[in-house]
Amino acid sequence: MRYTINTDLKKELKSYGISEWNDCFHCGNCTAICPLTENGFLFPRKGIRQIQMGLKDKLTMNVDPWLCYYCGECSQTCPRDANPGELMMTLRRYLTSVYDWTGLSKKFYTSHKWEYGFLGFFALLVIALFAVFLPPAKAIFTNPELFINDQGGVMINSLVNGITNIEFLHFVEIGDLTMAILVALLLISNILNMYNKVILKDKSIRIPLYSYFVEAWHLLFNFVAQPKFSKCDKKNYWIGHLLLMTSYTIMFTVIVALLPKFQIEEVKPWYNWQRILGYYATFGLLFFLVYTAIGRFKKSDVKFEYSHVSDWLFLILLGLTTITGILIHIFRLTGLPVATYFTFVIHLAILVPMIVVEVPFSKWSHLAYRPFAAYFSRLKKAAYKRNHKIEIAQAA
Amino acid sequence: MRVKIGICYYDSNSEYASLFNNDVIIEYAKSIPSVEQVWIGKVLELTASDLASLFKSSGVEKIVIAGDYPGLIKNKIDLAMKLAGLDHKKLALASFSEHALFNGQSTEMAKAVLLCAVNGLDFREVAKPGHNTVNKDTLVIGGGIAGIQASLEIANGGQKVYLLEKSGTIGGHMAMFDKTFPTLDCAACILTPKMVDVGQHPNIELITYSELKEVQGDAGDFKVKINKKARRVNISTCIGCGNCAEKCPRKAASEFDADTSLRKAIYIPFPQAVPNKYLIDADNCTYVENGKCGVCVKICPVPDCINLDEKDSEIEINVGNIILATGFKVFDAKKIERYGYGQFPNVLTSLEFERLINAAGPTEGNITYRKKDKKGNWVFKEGNGEPQSVGIIHCVGSRDENNNKYCSKVCCMYSLKLAHLVREKLPDAIINEYYIDMRAFGKGYEEFYERIKTEGINMIRGKTATIKQKGEKLLLRSEDMLNDRMLEDELDMVILAVGLEPANKASELAKMLKITQDGNGWYNESNSLSDPVNTNSGGVSIAGLCQGPKDIPDTVAQASAAASRVLQNIINNKVEKSVFDLSFKDIENRVNELITEVKS
Repeated sequence: MRYTINTDLKKELKSYGISEWNDCFHCGNCTAICPLTENGFLFPRKGIRQIQMGLKDKLTMNVDPWLCYYCGECSQTCPRDANPGELMMTLRRYLTSVYDWTGLSKKFYTSHKWEYGFLGFFALLVIALFAVFLPPAKAIFTNPELFINDQGGVMINSLVNGITNIEFLHFVEIGDLTMAILVALLLISNILNMYNKVILKDKSIRIPLYSYFVEAWHLLFNFVAQPKFSKCDKKNYWIGHLLLMTSYTIMFTVIVALLPKFQIEEVKPWYNWQRILGYYATFGLLFFLVYTAIGRFKKSDVKFEYSHVSDWLFLILLGLTTITGILIHIFRLTGLPVATYFTFVIHLAILVPMIVVEVPFSKWSHLAYRPFAAYFSRLKKAAYKRNHKIEIAQAA
Repeated sequence: MRVKIGICYYDSNSEYASLFNNDVIIEYAKSIPSVEQVWIGKVLELTASDLASLFKSSGVEKIVIAGDYPGLIKNKIDLAMKLAGLDHKKLALASFSEHALFNGQSTEMAKAVLLCAVNGLDFREVAKPGHNTVNKDTLVIGGGIAGIQASLEIANGGQKVYLLEKSGTIGGHMAMFDKTFPTLDCAACILTPKMVDVGQHPNIELITYSELKEVQGDAGDFKVKINKKARRVNISTCIGCGNCAEKCPRKAASEFDADTSLRKAIYIPFPQAVPNKYLIDADNCTYVENGKCGVCVKICPVPDCINLDEKDSEIEINVGNIILATGFKVFDAKKIERYGYGQFPNVLTSLEFERLINAAGPTEGNITYRKKDKKGNWVFKEGNGEPQSVGIIHCVGSRDENNNKYCSKVCCMYSLKLAHLVREKLPDAIINEYYIDMRAFGKGYEEFYERIKTEGINMIRGKTATIKQKGEKLLLRSEDMLNDRMLEDELDMVILAVGLEPANKASELAKMLKITQDGNGWYNESNSLSDPVNTNSGGVSIAGLCQGPKDIPDTVAQASAAASRVLQNIINNKVEKSVFDLSFKDIENRVNELITEVKS
């Protein structure tokens, strides 16, 4: 296959994060110190080389950036202070925009106007929908005690004027599912694009059909537990990430798939499994948010030294969602219907844009790309093994 | 008529940049009457045509580029002046790094340099400090190959030399080496005759086991106080019989063998030492510790030769010139923990290996494992077995932002040499060199590299990142980037090609002698191109590694050059004073004088 040299590649990459790609003098330290590299998957140095040479096509075929979990050891020991770890992070942002066929990803990463505009649009849309179709019942201002149940908590589904609580729940559920399907469709199409670039375009290998099935369990395994991450030398990162990941997934599942079971009128006792699950997820999110926010402020670790706008947005949006979520819970338990209603609207006005914009097009898309990257890399490895029988070799 | 002058102020952010207070200098530049405009920063970002329009609009006729390395942007300014229709011959440079590196008053001197450039005067012509007459005796500090060479040159020229050495013998690092690159000559065969010459030369007075304490006076007439450490053996009566060392009960690591072997507490550093006399290591002597022992005194056949109660003494000498040749120390490989030096017994520094492979070393030149002996000491010993695979890692501590940023220059070449020596002794061994770039910089060196490549040595482009102990073997993880693969090599022995650093007390000496050091601690020469051996301190010259990493041929050449400078001073009976004696006011007055002279 022939590759065209793209002399503008470095310029193009500038807005995705670190812009200095020429510091590297190719000593190979970063690749060798990374516990995740293996034959066929030599990163970060090789990726840096591709950028320096302007091999855009090769770069977009490269699955390696997704195999890096950014422990920062390469950056710490880099003899040139070239920060290969952050370069990998920048490449992940770039690849996200490459996989996204709608072009929105690129817009969001490179232009603040687009990103804020889209977030604001969806926030206003949610508020408008509530204002037009689901305004608050007048009685919550005049007779708030009508909305309090036997346990003293607010009956959350009855706060809306003109419809029954069952209808309201249904309304929210439909909105939920529409959003989930839309996001899923976008992600799936992007993943297919990724598959095309990473596997189909790579003519040097032929993947044996059976490996698609043999390796499939890696997809799930990598999604649930990030086993590769645990191979990094800094184990606490993996544990921290696992906490966030499980919390986030639980919250997401609860909100989207199991809403009727969770958004209910009665207040269950604290030891009920639903509440325990909710508290675990909230704790996980809070812990991660505080830890990361402090880290990014103080630049306490290599991986926190450079923060892209998308990193801050991620923290802010997730933080606001978590805080408003906690507030709703408190207002419900203390029996404040007015506060509950308005916080609920604000909560959704943050949550919806976050999920619609961030998950398919921005930082959170790695949730989908990483397990697939792990899966694709297994496929490639299987093909390598069949074709060349490569293993880590002694020099002699 | 007043000529309008523009100044482009350029801060290259070099290792010297921190010495200069830019704000003060810029403020001063603005206050010079003929200066019309000062452009600060941004010069790099602007194109030549942008600059040209700047020049045009401001109406300047002459441009001065001021900064730590103004030459770096000279071409651009030159072009801009041509584009602006200015006479590009009216461009002057005010280079602070070239002229203004002064202890503590660099900013003041930078102002003076700027003033000279604005007035079209050569700073070196203006800032002439004047001359002193010269005391004909010379002090050479450091008894390595540079100090030996410089001493011999001056002594052969008929002048008296004091050669000061902090250890018990002259010879320095070169005496420890096995072979020299690229000719593979035996280092000792070249060095030891020179050492003997030094020892026997009527014009050379050797002051070993002593250190510089204080320097007073000015160029041409220094009063130098030297601290003679207690040797505890009378150097004039000791016959070197060795009876004392045979009976001495205490052992300590041998400095000469780079800690790879043990010597007694009373010892001769190595058999060819000059002076070939014993000395006592007070840190490891039982008598010095608790007053009990004194076996050496009892056994010594010469009466009153050993005096265990001797104290440090002080001598004072007068000299006219001083040559600094203090050399280097090797990078402490323990700083890079992932290489496990100090934890894994068979990870060696190159200096240790140099002793190991030396026929006069701990194993008589046989390459063996380092193993624990019965007494619990880690030693190289015949019978420990021969390693069958050896790895050499380049650039340990050099070219590394986390350690020393500079290239230590010699490591590539000595690593190739070591690979060759291993191949000689172990014909079937696997030998891997892990390098970043191969820097074969000198005459015959590239050919040497090509030759080594044909000896079945694996050249791997990719620096090893980690070494782990795996059973008896060492596991090295590296990227073989020329073959696009990862390597996990299991080797028996690893040599770390450690870089070079300024000697331990380099900055103390610099303060005593009022000379400057660069950001890495190497001594500054007064001009690297035109005056590579003199310093800004009058009467003080530098030679060898203390000025910056270099190989033996360069060191010897520089030592000879320094000696020729000294001889020149002695023959003319005239030495230039230190430029430090000049203040900014002096230079300002001189500039005004010169300008009025020209006008009249």
